[in-house]
Amino acid sequence: MFLPAGSQDETGVQISNRLRASEIFRQVTKKRNFQQISTPVVEYAQTFTNEVAGMDLHSMLKWFNGEGEIEVLRPDWTAAIARAIAGQHPSKQKWSYQGSVFRFDKEDTESRQAGIEIVHADRFFGEAESLLTAVAYLKHLNIEDYVIELGHTGIFDALIAPFTFSKQEEAELLKAMHDKRSDLVEEIVVTAGNAELAKPLMALIDAYGSRDIMEQYRNRWSDRDDLTEILTHIDKLIDLLEASGVTEVIVDLGRVKNLPYYDGIMFRGFLTIDGSTCFSGGRYDRLYKQFELITSAVGLAFDVDVLATQMEPEKEPEKICIIASPETHAIAEEFRIEMEEQVVDIQYELKNQTSYHTIYQVVVENSQYKVVEK
Amino acid sequence: MKPVIALTKGRLEKQFLEFFEGLGYEVEPLLEKGRKLQIETKEFSFFFAKGVDVTTYVENGIADIGVVGGDILIEHQPDVFNLFPLPFGHCRMALATKRDYQWPERKKRIASTFTNITKSYFKGKGESVDIIKLEGSVELAPILGLADAIVDIVETGTTLKENGLVIEDEFLSFSARLIANRSSLKIKRDQLVPVIERFREGARNE
Repeated sequence: MFLPAGSQDETGVQISNRLRASEIFRQVTKKRNFQQISTPVVEYAQTFTNEVAGMDLHSMLKWFNGEGEIEVLRPDWTAAIARAIAGQHPSKQKWSYQGSVFRFDKEDTESRQAGIEIVHADRFFGEAESLLTAVAYLKHLNIEDYVIELGHTGIFDALIAPFTFSKQEEAELLKAMHDKRSDLVEEIVVTAGNAELAKPLMALIDAYGSRDIMEQYRNRWSDRDDLTEILTHIDKLIDLLEASGVTEVIVDLGRVKNLPYYDGIMFRGFLTIDGSTCFSGGRYDRLYKQFELITSAVGLAFDVDVLATQMEPEKEPEKICIIASPETHAIAEEFRIEMEEQVVDIQYELKNQTSYHTIYQVVVENSQYKVVEK
Repeated sequence: MKPVIALTKGRLEKQFLEFFEGLGYEVEPLLEKGRKLQIETKEFSFFFAKGVDVTTYVENGIADIGVVGGDILIEHQPDVFNLFPLPFGHCRMALATKRDYQWPERKKRIASTFTNITKSYFKGKGESVDIIKLEGSVELAPILGLADAIVDIVETGTTLKENGLVIEDEFLSFSARLIANRSSLKIKRDQLVPVIERFREGARNE
């Protein structure tokens, strides 16, 4: 039997690392007073495709139920969690989750995520706590070489606000900015009759790098209180990260939202070794407006599959084998229970001697069963 | 580690090398590559692949930047930074059919390698068509009666002319483009930006 494209079995180090990453995530978030939440794998498509969440139905695994409604395999945690916790008491602010998301537009149809959501909390607190939880988690995984990138949806929004674009033009402009496609950005704004916006937007495409770039833009935007406020906000987060020992922080002031519900700060973690994105997230207050909640919401999700590939394999404990028989299996089991630190295997017939550090066998001495080293 | 550049072999290769040499970079190892697909110069690691594969290598971070035709990017929509046009590899997308062809009253059959571009073109015109995917020599399709017309890239128009086809409509123009991996551009910024800026400057001056 074969597997569909994008699906895979897991064995060996990959699954061992992934399960360890999940367990460490549970411990880290529990210690930081996050409450666990799990939502079902099957949801209505509407939860993700409504006007606020705005996700593309094409990339979802979907079908019609008996009533003719479209159901999907969960393509995203954040929209699902928003649905689930909108009715919870506002005193419950910190949530953590773990599980799979399913998408057609990714190399793997199923990918495992572990993430946090902080709602109804002070805005800066939520962002700081999200980022510091990410830092703490990576530390517990012994992943040290990573870069955190900060961006903000408000920069692009503020720059285009005084100009008129049709909905389609704005969507095309957003895509061109997302692709850092400077020639198309220029073409769209000029065609829309907003030629004076071309230069600032084309410059913004290249506004990424170390925090030094912030100073340049602070001068450039000195007459724009809204934009300098955003820069100050990003600066405060960088200060917080640096004070917490994170040395590699970069900014991309030209980054635009890749999901419609993002609304403020955006963060992303890259692993230095191969550039893979190990976490992403940001602010999405507007996602809760569909539930008539004016509140703050921020969070991030780790790609556990990516983390698992980068984690060092677990140190193998001492491996012991006890040779037993149907008559002596219970005796061997009793011996096994006493050895808490070791991996203890019981075999009736020794098949692979070299895979064990020590081999024991159950023998009869003076009409009594005894476990002795072989 | 040196920046890794993926190059499209074939049509764009020679034009890229002329452009690259004009920027003052070392090109001898590339000119003398023979059948080798991977070449090291003092500053870069290069490899050569088919256009669509260049986008795959860049998307997956095997290459940091790549040079590929704009037609490939529109057709396959890879998840990469699609930075800017380069001053070579110019071509157009055209709808072509046999000279004096009488279009049938049934739904049209259009042959193309670029099925997504074809679909989008006819959708824009509000017309339903059947699209037949071909991997090459699409000019044959109308001649042999497989399709009513073709959608394909045209550089000079000579191939169409020699096969008795005429252009009905031209609707997109392209050139080669510089693309970059989304993560590499950020985390290898110091290495990549000087190269990208030199490319940009070279493109602007032509």
